[in-house]
Formats: sequence, C-alpha cells, structure tokens
Amino acid sequence: MDRGLYIAASGMLAEQIRQDQIANDLANASTPGYKGDRTAQRSFGDLLLANSTNGAAVGRQSTAVQVDSIETDFSPKPARETGEPLDFAINGEGFFAVQTAQGVRYTRNGQFSLDPQGRLVTAQGDPVLDTAGRAITATDGKVDARRVGVVALTDPRKEGDSLVTGTPAGAAAGTVRAGALEASGADAARSMVDMIASMRAFEAGQKVIQAIDETLGQAVSKVGSVGS
Amino acid sequence: MLSGLNTAAAGMAAQQQRMDAVANDLANANTTGYKHQRVGFRDLVYEQTGRSSAQGVRTGSGAAAVDAGRAFGQGSLQRTDRPLDVAIQGEGFLRVRLADGRDALTRDGGLHIDGNRRLVTATGALVQPAITIPEGVAEDQISIGADGTVLANRQRVGKLDVLTVRSTQGLLSIGDNAFVATAASGAPVAAPQATVLSQGALEASNTDMASAMVEMIESQRAFQLASKAITTADEMMGIANQVKR
Repeated sequence: MDRGLYIAASGMLAEQIRQDQIANDLANASTPGYKGDRTAQRSFGDLLLANSTNGAAVGRQSTAVQVDSIETDFSPKPARETGEPLDFAINGEGFFAVQTAQGVRYTRNGQFSLDPQGRLVTAQGDPVLDTAGRAITATDGKVDARRVGVVALTDPRKEGDSLVTGTPAGAAAGTVRAGALEASGADAARSMVDMIASMRAFEAGQKVIQAIDETLGQAVSKVGSVGS
Repeated sequence: MLSGLNTAAAGMAAQQQRMDAVANDLANANTTGYKHQRVGFRDLVYEQTGRSSAQGVRTGSGAAAVDAGRAFGQGSLQRTDRPLDVAIQGEGFLRVRLADGRDALTRDGGLHIDGNRRLVTATGALVQPAITIPEGVAEDQISIGADGTVLANRQRVGKLDVLTVRSTQGLLSIGDNAFVATAASGAPVAAPQATVLSQGALEASNTDMASAMVEMIESQRAFQLASKAITTADEMMGIANQVKR
C-alpha cells in the first residue's frame, strides 16, 4: 500500500503526544516551580529511493515521524511575593533537596510547611534538606532562608509530585528567598499557539490520508474500466 | 489522545479546589481571627507515552491541588474598647473546651460571660482553664493583662492559656473559628514569650481582598486554559473520526 498513508498516520500520532504534553503544561499553569516541556519530533528510517528499471538513485525519503524526546525547560522563572514565612523561591539556578522514601529528590516548588517535629517539609511531608544535607528544624515557626540548601543538578528529569531526579553536582549559584514562590514555567500564550498549530498539523495529516485514499480509490475503480 | 483529556480535566479539578478555598476566604473576610487557606499545586506522575515515540519520552498527567494548611499571618487589630475582647499579637491560640468536650484552639478573642459567670467565646466554648467572674463585677471592671492574667475588680481570677503547636498546618479546622490539635500538628505547647494579648481589640481576618481577587482571576483563567485543551483534544478526535468519510 502507498507508504504515504503510514507516514501521515505517524505524523498524526506524534501530534497527539504533543497535544498531551501541552495539556499537561496548561493543567500546571498555577503549579509553583513547574517547568514547561517541549516536544521534539524527528523523522526516522530514511529510505533511499531508486528507479526500479535502471537503478538510478532518486533521493531519500523519510518513512515516518517520531516523537524523539520531550525536553524540559529548567530555566528559572520569576518569583511572586506571597508573604508566607514558609514559602521559598530560588533566585537563579538550583533545586531544593528533599528526603523522600525513595531517596533524595529535588524540587523548585518551595511551598513548605512544618511537621509535628518542627521540621521543614514539602506538601507531601518529606523533609527539606539544608546545605549540609540534614533536615531543617524551625525556630518559632520560621526558617532562615540561608539554611535551606540549593543543589545543582546534571540531567534533571521530572518525576511528578513537583519532584525532579538527577545527579547532584554540588551547591548551585541560586539563592533562597523566603516569602515568595516561583511562578509556573507553563507559558499560556505559547501553549495555546502550539495547541492550535498541533491541531492543524493533525488535520493536515488527516487530509493527506484522505487524498491518498482518494487516489487509491481512483486506482481501484478507474484503472481498467473501459470507456466512460 | 484520551490521556490529554484526563490531564486537562485534572488541572481543572485542581483549579476548582483553589476557587473553593478563595471563595471561603472571601466569605470570611470579616470573620474575627480567620486565617486564610494556603492552596498549592503539584504536577502528577510522568509516564512513558505509547506508540510513535522513542524510549524515555514521557508525558505528565496533570496537576493536583495541595492543602498547605492555613496561613497564620497576623491579622490587623481592630480596637473595640470592649473589656472582654482580647486580640492575640503573635503566634498562639486561646485554649477552649467545646460543647462536645474536646479541647480546641482559637484566635477569636471576643469573650463573654455565660449564665454561670464563666468566660466563654462567642460560640459558647468555655475558656480553659475555666475563669469565673465573681458576682457583682461589671464587665468594665475586668482587666486582661498582656500575659493573659485576668483581674476582676483588681482581684486575680485566672489566666488565659496561650498555646501553639509545632505544625500549624496539621491543625484540624472544625469551623466556629476553632482548630483541634491532631497527631500531625503535635500536642499544644506554650506560645513563645513574644506573644502578647491586647485587651479591647479583636484580630481581623487575614484574608487579603486584593490577593484573593487576583487568585480568583488567575484560577478562572487557568481553568479556562485547561478547558481549551479539552476542546482541542475533542476536535482532534473528531478529525480522526473523519479520516474515513
């Protein structure tokens, strides 16, 4: 069958994944410290087309498109003032370190509170670590922002629950500020534009399939029919 | 495709939860000692996507609202000049006993004298430890010191207990301006020395109208954005349905 059908279908499937990614960005438009994603596509399986009678090369043709990766933009976003003593934002690069049941994880969502032992914890109840990697105990309900550790990460990867995994690479340059939260990295305007573009690309894929289908239909019904 | 629908719906549900909290804050803009709610968000799990993507390509599944407890920032003091009004300045709560026998904490210091001459809050909860005002002492003969000592006609009749807990986030809000200590909050302990009571004043709600309105607008727009993602996903399913005419 015409390979164009499959190429167009693969494009539609890739746009669906992009759409899922955009929906996630939009759903997290208010999540503090959230980092937006970008869906990267690439063609795969190039074929070298050749003339079937004399073997002369015609050129390359891609056989499909594939979502290659979803890249997260970890660049710092502006902080907004909340006035809450236990809200923290990192100015510049770096992550807060959090001791979870699965090991140390990292986050830029600094909406913390205190647990019954008076330790600084995340919304999930996991202790936040200081510059030396120990839990932080508050005094009189407050924590000095300078005590909160900021860790640089190589290969950060989002894990859900506002947590990020990665390889720690020492202290980061960012400084911690109390009474503020980092805004979400989801860019509403760009997401809307991407969403429209993606939907239209999806629609174009549909049109290509229909066009190829029509061509095939012609081939089936018209070729070989004698007379009008 | 369906995953995008659910992702966006999760985001909408989260925004709705924040909207409920903002509505409650606004409704309590004039409630004595009210503390506004802190609603946070988190993203949900990231999963490997299905076909037509390389290994390691993961899409998220939306957002959820997180209850970060109350914001116990100080509300402004309103002078009432009523001798039985006390406002707490700083961290801490008055200890009261509810009608059901539970001990609770409150920052609503609008006190009254009940039929048995005991000090009670506006909702009828007994101040703990119980303080009885002797017969014949008028309200304006009562003086409440910065440390909570209650004098009736210059005679000491008791002391208001000012307590706090380690984790105010863990307090259970039970309505009637009262909170109950739980295992998550830790047992009540004495409030820091810096906390003082001031007689003849009440603590206003700490709902900030301006920021509550901004939050409401933000919530509504974020809700709308997520709903657009659903519309688009729906349109795309329509397009997919039209592949075969």
